[in-house]
Amino acid sequence: MDPGSAWLPWAVLIPLGGAMAGLLVGRRGAAPVAAVAALLTVAASLALLVEVWAGPAARHFAGGWRPPLGIQLRADGLAAVVLASLALVGGLVTAFALGEFGRRSRLSGLFFPLWLFGWAALNALVLSADLFNLYVTLELSTLAAVALISLANRGPAFGAAARYLLLAVVGSLSYLVGVALLFALHGTLDLPSLGARLSGGPAVWAGLGLILTGLCLKAALFPLHTWLPGAYQRALGPVAALLSGLLSNAPFYVLLRLWLELGSGPLKLAAGQLLGGLGGAAVIWGSLLALRADRLSSVLAYSSVAQFGYLFLLFQLDTPAAWAAGAFLLISHATAKAALFLAAGTLQRAVGHDRVDGLRGMAGQLPPTIFAIAVSAVGLIGLPPSGAFIAKWVLLRAAAERGQWWPAVVLLGGGLLAAGYCFRFLRELFIPGPQPLRLRKIPAPLQQLATLALAALGLGFGLWPAAPLRLLGVGWP
Amino acid sequence: MTPWLWFALSAVALFAVGLHGLFSSRQLVRQILAANISASAVLLLLVAFARRAPSGDPDPVPHALVLTGIVVSVSATGVALALARRLRVRPPGSRRR
Amino acid sequence: MTGLERLFDLALVVGLPVVALAVLTAKELRAAVALFLSLGLLMALVWARLDAPDVALVEAAVGTGLTGALLLASGLAAPAPPQLPGPLAQRLLLAIGLAGLLGAVGLGVATAGGDPGLRAAVLDNLQRSGVTHPPTAVLLNFRGYDTLLEAIVLLVAAVGVGSLRRERPVAIGPPGPLLLELVRWVVPVLGVVAGYLLWRGSDAPGGAFQAGAILAGGGVLLVLAGKLSAPRLASLRVRALLLAGPVAFLAAAALPLGQGGSLLQYPPAWAKALMLGIEVALAGSIAVVLLMFFPALAPARSGR
Repeated sequence: MDPGSAWLPWAVLIPLGGAMAGLLVGRRGAAPVAAVAALLTVAASLALLVEVWAGPAARHFAGGWRPPLGIQLRADGLAAVVLASLALVGGLVTAFALGEFGRRSRLSGLFFPLWLFGWAALNALVLSADLFNLYVTLELSTLAAVALISLANRGPAFGAAARYLLLAVVGSLSYLVGVALLFALHGTLDLPSLGARLSGGPAVWAGLGLILTGLCLKAALFPLHTWLPGAYQRALGPVAALLSGLLSNAPFYVLLRLWLELGSGPLKLAAGQLLGGLGGAAVIWGSLLALRADRLSSVLAYSSVAQFGYLFLLFQLDTPAAWAAGAFLLISHATAKAALFLAAGTLQRAVGHDRVDGLRGMAGQLPPTIFAIAVSAVGLIGLPPSGAFIAKWVLLRAAAERGQWWPAVVLLGGGLLAAGYCFRFLRELFIPGPQPLRLRKIPAPLQQLATLALAALGLGFGLWPAAPLRLLGVGWP
Repeated sequence: MTPWLWFALSAVALFAVGLHGLFSSRQLVRQILAANISASAVLLLLVAFARRAPSGDPDPVPHALVLTGIVVSVSATGVALALARRLRVRPPGSRRR
Repeated sequence: MTGLERLFDLALVVGLPVVALAVLTAKELRAAVALFLSLGLLMALVWARLDAPDVALVEAAVGTGLTGALLLASGLAAPAPPQLPGPLAQRLLLAIGLAGLLGAVGLGVATAGGDPGLRAAVLDNLQRSGVTHPPTAVLLNFRGYDTLLEAIVLLVAAVGVGSLRRERPVAIGPPGPLLLELVRWVVPVLGVVAGYLLWRGSDAPGGAFQAGAILAGGGVLLVLAGKLSAPRLASLRVRALLLAGPVAFLAAAALPLGQGGSLLQYPPAWAKALMLGIEVALAGSIAVVLLMFFPALAPARSGR
């Protein structure tokens, strides 16, 4: 019996193996092991991308058992695109971290294995097509994230990590109750076959509703977003980049999958309206808070609340074009945010703080990093030629066609607000300071390069959108 | 009403009790207790559903899922308690929700 | 279904939420933990009534026993501060929300009719799985991928907890003579029980998780008696033990892949041996992980 493409499990097993090897060799060897593992993982992800590009969606049956008895892994266009972006962002952040954490530091021995475990969890999540398996991967990514946040080794970080853990667990439990209901009714946990078999009735709607609520809590949708800013502000630079760019997107991705494959009808429409409404509120609320924040990492954290809000507008628009634009938006924001958090961390190490009003005159000191900040800001605001611009344009059109005014208002208003808070810190950076600042710690060239490359990725989507769009079309549910 | 349904409804009540405890307490350790209770409730629901057939053996798949769930739950509890221990120097109840 | 059985079930069904409420409203934390343990016992009875012996074993050992011990050991036995009631609006909202939730989910549950589930599929394929106990077959073979990830969850939790440890272990008093005697007699018995559960897991309730939890219990006793030092992440031996199970699992997953098969596919002739090997390695790793969850204690030397 043909098991299917082997690249799917390799994308999970390789980072797992790398993490275990890194853990075994301890602080002395963790960094080189991580570098090798990262390269191999990127290679496997790209190999899968190539395979999906050519033909129909790829699949793999774990243990050789077909669903509903066994677990199925599946890579269609959407999964391949997200997997590839995971690989690129993850790889670049790893490169940055190689420069950031000293060769033999305690942090090095912990960060790299934890991150590689997290990467494995994310890959497993993106490729999974089984409801319970999704739960396990979500929990794994949450625990890895919590451990990573705790590496900051300070009281506030522990508090933020604890709050995140508790709320993530509540979300998972709600999700599980929903899964239990759906399994009781249909006898399968396999997503594709569940989509075909799904019946109606109060039990199904209760189950779907619970799953939705749980995932929204984990995805920090307004008003359930309160755990997020604390976690982002208090984590180490690379950790915040990983959180904002990758780990926090996982629940949203699961939600997207389930939305596309399960359910239909008037209740779903209503749910879409609700999600869109809350998403818009998140954009406005988060952007307003970002305008008033006094530290760069706080600005970025609140901006992330806003960004996740944009993604929830998609549920209200609900057309294939809108979903494709959403994927673009997701990736564009992920790269921009990751780059910004890395840069913020660099600035913090360089001058000892990250107060926005104290950043005057940095532009002359760390050109690549500052340039990366500027480019990423373009992506955040949604100006051409970034991928976010294209995405927002498509979304505006979709909103206009459907006569939905709320998403349009949010898209335009959000862009304006983003311009506001971005220009605030950009202005400080580019004004020449009273005297040349003395830098405490100059980042390694590798770090600045990685930050810049990340920012450029976001632009790349805008400049060459055709290829990703074509890929998204493969096996679209 | 059949017994499995009783247990399933009891699980729902248990879940609500746990949630209530989680959101109405300010102490991390109590919240951990509450989360554990809710987790047990979810697992009870799964096992109750597995027992719907009036005779013969229950469905083994939910049992395996529940075993996994217990392990995941204790892992999260372990990490949460480790965090609580590090946070202990702060006066209890001072954490903002 | 006799009347007495129904009464018993009813007592359990009503007792569970009531005891849970007691746990969460107990004044002192120690009382709460004691009530939590009794809740666990009630749940074990429930699992027995629902014909779920594997779940009962793991719940008793891990879910209740270990968690309860962890809660006590975390030394957080300070009396709870008075629970300040939140603003009325907030409490009202919470109550309404929960009532709505109860209603909706209860309705869903009551009308969740009936798919027969996967029991038939499992039994049909049981012979090819290499073991005769259905939950073990599901856990290690049919849905082995989940279990692999679950082993990683444990590993990540161990790393997280290990990284959160303070540098120095907490000093406690010397072990009393009762404890030392207990350790002398009980720990070997625990080892035998663990080994038995591990061996029997293929055709009866048992397996790596139960065995690992029991071994961890023995480990806790040994640490308290000063015979074993609390495991630290910095030690290479500890890391090797932690990794033994996951590495074995990973190898079993990757090798068939390299040969053109699928992830975690066991050749039928070797299935039972492979699963047992994985379980043995896993039990050791699980024991170390669970032991690491406990705060590092260093009992004073009792002098021989």
